[in-house]
Amino acid sequence: MTPALQASALTVPGRLTGVSLTLGPAELVAVVGPNGAGKSTLMQALAGLLPASGDILWNGQSLARIPAQERGRRLAWMGQEALFEFGFPVREVVAQGRYAWGDDPAGVAEALAAMDLVDLGDRPVTRLSGGERHRVILARALATQAPIQLWDEPVAQLDVRHALEVYRLARQLAERGNTVLVSLHDIRAAYRFDRVLVLDRGRLVGDGQPHAVLTADLIRTVFRVEATFTTSLVPELPARED
Amino acid sequence: MKTRAALPLLGLLLAVAFLASLAFGELRLGPMQVLDALVGRGDSLSRTVVWDFRLPRTLVGLAAGAALAASGVVMQAFFRNPLADPGLLGVSSGGALGAVAVLALGPSLGVAAASIWTLPVASILGAFVATGAVILLAERGAGTERLLLSGVALNALLGAGTSFLLTISAGHFEVNAQILFWLMGGLENRSWEHVWMGVPAILLGCLLLLPMGRALNLLSLGEQSAQSLGVDVRRLRRKLIILATVLTALATAIGGIIAFVGLVVPHALRLVFGPDHRRLLPYSMLGGAAFLLACDLATRLFPIGLRLGVVTAVVGGPFFLWLLRRAR
Repeated sequence: MTPALQASALTVPGRLTGVSLTLGPAELVAVVGPNGAGKSTLMQALAGLLPASGDILWNGQSLARIPAQERGRRLAWMGQEALFEFGFPVREVVAQGRYAWGDDPAGVAEALAAMDLVDLGDRPVTRLSGGERHRVILARALATQAPIQLWDEPVAQLDVRHALEVYRLARQLAERGNTVLVSLHDIRAAYRFDRVLVLDRGRLVGDGQPHAVLTADLIRTVFRVEATFTTSLVPELPARED
Repeated sequence: MKTRAALPLLGLLLAVAFLASLAFGELRLGPMQVLDALVGRGDSLSRTVVWDFRLPRTLVGLAAGAALAASGVVMQAFFRNPLADPGLLGVSSGGALGAVAVLALGPSLGVAAASIWTLPVASILGAFVATGAVILLAERGAGTERLLLSGVALNALLGAGTSFLLTISAGHFEVNAQILFWLMGGLENRSWEHVWMGVPAILLGCLLLLPMGRALNLLSLGEQSAQSLGVDVRRLRRKLIILATVLTALATAIGGIIAFVGLVVPHALRLVFGPDHRRLLPYSMLGGAAFLLACDLATRLFPIGLRLGVVTAVVGGPFFLWLLRRAR
């Protein structure tokens, strides 16, 4: 099967050094690492939003050869920044996810519902709280219905219920065959992913199944904290069914 | 306000401003006289007044207003800042400097401002040099913030040049009066040459901008997110910068620096009709044209030496404050 996303020797000077990875379809992958480790840079580079050296392939095709509109159909990126200067209604911002599809409205209603935004549909985005704005841009990424989803700290500003909903949704998308890459600060949640990437000072220092990668040793070296394992601090998180 | 009513309403407003601009002045004409004169009937005096004086003036005002407001919409979306205006990147300062340089230095260099084309061409050249600098910066990958700061620097530099020329020509009353025209804008003595110089190109620029509203919507909420959603941001940025600066350059060349239109018209229409650029672009073109014609009419109805740029600020300022209060 063609990998969904491949990068080799991906380098952004000063921020990311020689990262190589392959993500398959139907994979739910977490990216963890301390502040400044390069998580956002990695996601932006993979999404083609930053000049980076090295090769990036989407579905086996070189990113440089994929035209802008086609990119919008294949990969969705949700950034950390959710500041809006103009008061578009929530519904319209989410509908922007359909730009690459000629504004065909498929999926907009579902995306609004998934992010619990139906009641806020007509509210100008400038009048939302920080967490609500993040739900709006995540809904916009969902509305693209792109098979590769990159979410940069989607739950950092969310309350616990909405955060769990995001994890549930990520799992659901992966089970339907999508590639979902999520950056996180909550290492405990990362144990529930299929696979974890660990970044430290711009380098990929861990890549594999969570329990194999996120060892007490690695957490000590990378995050400089002592970790003890508990089985389930996030009991509602759906685990992989197999 | 219902957006469905906006287009007919603004169109009507523009039509009224257009006819009023043809009717009022030293010689007052009735609406029927204006229409008669327009189709070539009626007495020869009103035909001359309408065709030779007021129609070119009105068309120039209409085009300049539409160009400035459209350029303002683009700048505000591009810089994601509702306070951006067409002059932000130094284009109108460049236009003014070009014209002022010919006025101040022309006599000593032997370039007389005799031809009606000299000043507008000098202004366009000045504006295009500034535009060129901006585009060069943008093409070299300057981010939005650096572009903005470069515009500030360019504005200061060009403004200093104009101030210098103004100082050394102090005492030459006639020259100073003409310089003031460029710095405060005006539609006096506009001829058909001015119409041909600016209006067709402005019309073309506006038509090219109209289909870009959807992409502007995405861009106005962030460059990276727009790119990720399928907008070719590099190409879009280039097109927008070129169109917005050229529209500003043309408006400045035929009407001088007319302040405030490009800031207040898009902003006011956004407060009333919402931020969707697919609507805001055409609305602003109509609204900017109507607003400028109304302000020009005021300079004619109250002939106490009011400059167009003064009227746009005096009328626009308080109206804008009122809208801001209401929108809270």
